[in-house]
Amino acid sequence: MRARYDVIVVGGGHAGVEAAAASARLGARTVLVTPDLGRIAQMSCNPAIGGVAKGTVAREVGALGGVMAQAADAARIQFRMLNRSKGPAVWGPRAQCDRARYPIAARRALDGLPHLDLFQDMVVGMQFDGRVQGIATRGGVVFEGDAVVVTAGTFLRGRIHMGGASAQGAGRAGEGPSLELAEALERRGLEVARFKTGTPPRVDGRTVDFDRCQRQDGDADADAFRFCSYAREPLLEQRPCWVTWTGDALKRIVAGNLERSALYGGEISGRGPRYCPSIEDKVVRFPDAPRHQVFLEPEGLDTTELYVNGLSTSLPPSVQLAFLRSIPGLEDAKMTKPGYAVEYDYFPPRQLRHTLEVRSIPGLYFAGQVNGTTGYEEAAAQGLVAGANAALAVQGRSPFVVERDQGYIGVLVDDLVTKGVDEPYRLFTSRAEFRLLLRQDNCAGRVGVLARDVGLLTSRQERTLNERLAEERRSLVWFRETAIGPEAANPVLEAVGSSPITEPARARKLLRRPGVRAKALVGTVAEEDAPSFDPDVLATVEVDAKYEGYVERENERAAKLRRQARFAIPEDAPFAEFATLSSEARQKLTSARPTNLAQAGRVPGVSPADLQNLVMELRRLGHTAREEPASST
Amino acid sequence: MVVPVEPDTIVACATPPGVGAVAVVRLSGPRAVATASSLVRRDVGQWPSRSVRLCSLLRPGPSAEMLDKGLVTLFRAPASYTGEDVVEVSTHGGRHVPEGVVDACVALGARRARPGEFTQRAYLNGKLDLTQAEAVGDLTAAASEQGRSVALHQLERGLGERVASLRSRLIGLSALMVQHIDFPEEDEAPVSLKAVASEAQGVARDVARLVETAPAGTLLREGALTVLAGPPNAGKSSLFNALLGIERAIVTPAAGTTRDAIEAVASIDGFPFRLVDTAGLRTGTEGVEQQGIEVAHRYLSRADVVIVCRETVAPPAGLTARPPEPTLAGADAAAKVLLRTKWDLAEDDQAPEPGEIPVSVRTGQGLADLKRALRDLAFRGVVERRDEVPVVTTRRQAELLKNAEGELSDFADALKRGVPPEAASAHIRSAESALEDVLGVVASDEVLDRVFRDFCIGK
Repeated sequence: MRARYDVIVVGGGHAGVEAAAASARLGARTVLVTPDLGRIAQMSCNPAIGGVAKGTVAREVGALGGVMAQAADAARIQFRMLNRSKGPAVWGPRAQCDRARYPIAARRALDGLPHLDLFQDMVVGMQFDGRVQGIATRGGVVFEGDAVVVTAGTFLRGRIHMGGASAQGAGRAGEGPSLELAEALERRGLEVARFKTGTPPRVDGRTVDFDRCQRQDGDADADAFRFCSYAREPLLEQRPCWVTWTGDALKRIVAGNLERSALYGGEISGRGPRYCPSIEDKVVRFPDAPRHQVFLEPEGLDTTELYVNGLSTSLPPSVQLAFLRSIPGLEDAKMTKPGYAVEYDYFPPRQLRHTLEVRSIPGLYFAGQVNGTTGYEEAAAQGLVAGANAALAVQGRSPFVVERDQGYIGVLVDDLVTKGVDEPYRLFTSRAEFRLLLRQDNCAGRVGVLARDVGLLTSRQERTLNERLAEERRSLVWFRETAIGPEAANPVLEAVGSSPITEPARARKLLRRPGVRAKALVGTVAEEDAPSFDPDVLATVEVDAKYEGYVERENERAAKLRRQARFAIPEDAPFAEFATLSSEARQKLTSARPTNLAQAGRVPGVSPADLQNLVMELRRLGHTAREEPASST
Repeated sequence: MVVPVEPDTIVACATPPGVGAVAVVRLSGPRAVATASSLVRRDVGQWPSRSVRLCSLLRPGPSAEMLDKGLVTLFRAPASYTGEDVVEVSTHGGRHVPEGVVDACVALGARRARPGEFTQRAYLNGKLDLTQAEAVGDLTAAASEQGRSVALHQLERGLGERVASLRSRLIGLSALMVQHIDFPEEDEAPVSLKAVASEAQGVARDVARLVETAPAGTLLREGALTVLAGPPNAGKSSLFNALLGIERAIVTPAAGTTRDAIEAVASIDGFPFRLVDTAGLRTGTEGVEQQGIEVAHRYLSRADVVIVCRETVAPPAGLTARPPEPTLAGADAAAKVLLRTKWDLAEDDQAPEPGEIPVSVRTGQGLADLKRALRDLAFRGVVERRDEVPVVTTRRQAELLKNAEGELSDFADALKRGVPPEAASAHIRSAESALEDVLGVVASDEVLDRVFRDFCIGK
């Protein structure tokens, strides 16, 4: 059997799903090939989407027309806006999701796309002829195509560890690894490295004593990734999480069994993420910490299983059960699935362009964990970028690149491509230099318009986007123009300890005061006149007022960076010959191969003086800044 | 720091600081002509290339105070040293006038050039090949090396360490902010914004202490202006030569063209001095000598130290020797050393006046005392603080540190005003980047490294 497509997506995880959907939305004939169509969009680790920075990415993916926001909304069984006590710039939406319902919702979204086909088989080979030609499956099926997006997650030569010498080849527990594809890619001369990550055990909720745990409910007015999904999903029954803490007993058990841990027994060579340490790491690296938090997260509405977040481990199951039972509330717990560590191949991402195309192999794109990242949201974002660019390239159109000041997606891709990774990469707000611009409330204006302009949105999505942008404008005008009298305003002001007013004042001016909320000000207006603004829109208005000056400051810096980004660096720039650059800068630039000055400035080891000299050296070679828009800041 | 895509316009004094009667301030870059036009309030762009005009150099702003009169030369690109548009301004020598002109150009938007930057641009614009450029660099470095005392080296080293430790404290603050913002679900105690603000203020105070050393640093880099004054024939010139000759540290002794003042750099006990031999001070003269005296008074008004020379006169029998009192008008601010020169001529029973150091160039008597006195007077503050506070020696460093200090106090103010910390922390980043510029290091992911080192974070 042979078939021809424009774009072939290998893998059906969060990256693969977004890649296939983005490509299909752009009108490219697309096929997604994965070993088990029953496991599309699996949440292999914790059953939650979002968080600080990550939640913003999920909303960005939604605003770009992606699947993740919609599936998370359909499957959410708890929703919390993290950091609500802090300013709106750092709010982070997070949803606990039903592990069974999430993939169903994702599949439903894929099934709604006319240009997308799905096919179940393991990909074992790839055809090249100067560029990518297509793929072959274990069952002997050949798909020809101009672009291939590889989203193989942890499956490339994946090995899972459950203590001692238990290591076995697997991409996830119970699923075989992908060996042939890894070898085929390595034979093409791609650099390969190893990372590891881990997952904790799960327990049966019927055996947990919740009286000994602290209940953690979601927000009473459960939000959603909402607008960005362009469709309102009904709210399912909401479930709490539970918090408990490890103590001395766990410390003794873990410390006494360290040599049985695959991590500490020398079985694992790959580097793991520091921000997601195993319980072995926590005990060893922070011996003075009296306790560690453990979150019991619901796996779904139709199961009593709980995900024991905070206890990722590679100790043998017997030790896992022992340390679980040392924790208050889990004394009689039954373990349903042991935790394990997984080691896998990734391709150091500095081999990629900003489109996520492999520099050395035209038509081949990588997205997700194969690029050394972790996290569903990071994977989805890359999938969307890779899938969209694969389709655009096939159609002979300009690349789709999100800039660093436009989205966390831009920060993510640019970090990967220019800086590379030395541990599994995750987004943090501190990775963004424009944190006040990249917020969860303003994804529509930042990236939604980019998606609209390139044609990534369906007509229904586009309509929703335009309505949303109009509402943003209306609300800004309302706050700038509406004057509120003392009798209406003072109760709101006094409630937050702000001094009362004697003359009517503009709503925006009142909003600048610490503690005063936009919603409360809208509420001061008589019922029939009160506008009904979306909560996201109100957050946008608050930011506009409360961060006055600081947002402008970031905008100015972003504009400067844009000007730098317009200074293109030719692909064959002889960095090594630039005598006025430090030798470190010459070396780092030679390997990073930035395509514009702004990127060069972010290459570690390149100082501002080096950058200045780089400009002069390039000018000396007759190179000048170009005036057309940059490909990427 | 965001580097401009087009080369910016740079300015610096192109002649060694404080040496020579004439100094040259050089502007190079796309805005050199515009900057010079604002400085002289004339349209320099209308002049033919390589033309020279005598202009008043005016401080920018409404006061338009005259800094100096000087010759302004225009070199249009590419026929210039750097290959860019260049304007050279010849001013009176010394330290203050040329620095004032450089400051004015900076206020008009030019950037202070890094050492060797003119030559580097000349190379990049194809005016010099690399070996020529390197040779120029060596010369520049060698000349400045001579001007550096041992003490200066020590102090600069200390500065790097001190700034690095301040930066490390700021990274600690940023790590706290990251923990506060990125990890709301962690078990760690909540970050105390009060403690963060007070730590920021603490760092600001330490930065301010460094900034306060800038005048001392300038003194160390450029030398203490030390004027020999006294009536004619008081032995000033012999002393001048003796102080220079003994230390063999003359860089460029240059006679003032129409001014009877000679300036030279000497290293005395390891510290730099700019010695000025002036015309003898007396009243009732005219013409050239009177002009010389006016120059002497101008030097006196800016002097860090004045060596007041009175010669030893053999008293006629029965009378106390009373040489004429020199007039030191304008030198009120300067420290003074009182000398009784030509002490070899003194009678056996003659004693110096209280506070005077008797010296003899001929026998060498008293010169060691004089040098100790000079060092103490000019550099006591620096010497005493050497182990405690390193010294900021360049204006570039001082400006960056002032930026950092300003950003840190803005941060504390912003928190007090109720600005959310996630916005206010922009000031900490700016302060960090100013300190990184002082150190010449490149920012990296050290903040996250600190977070993961100090906090047990992650599920």
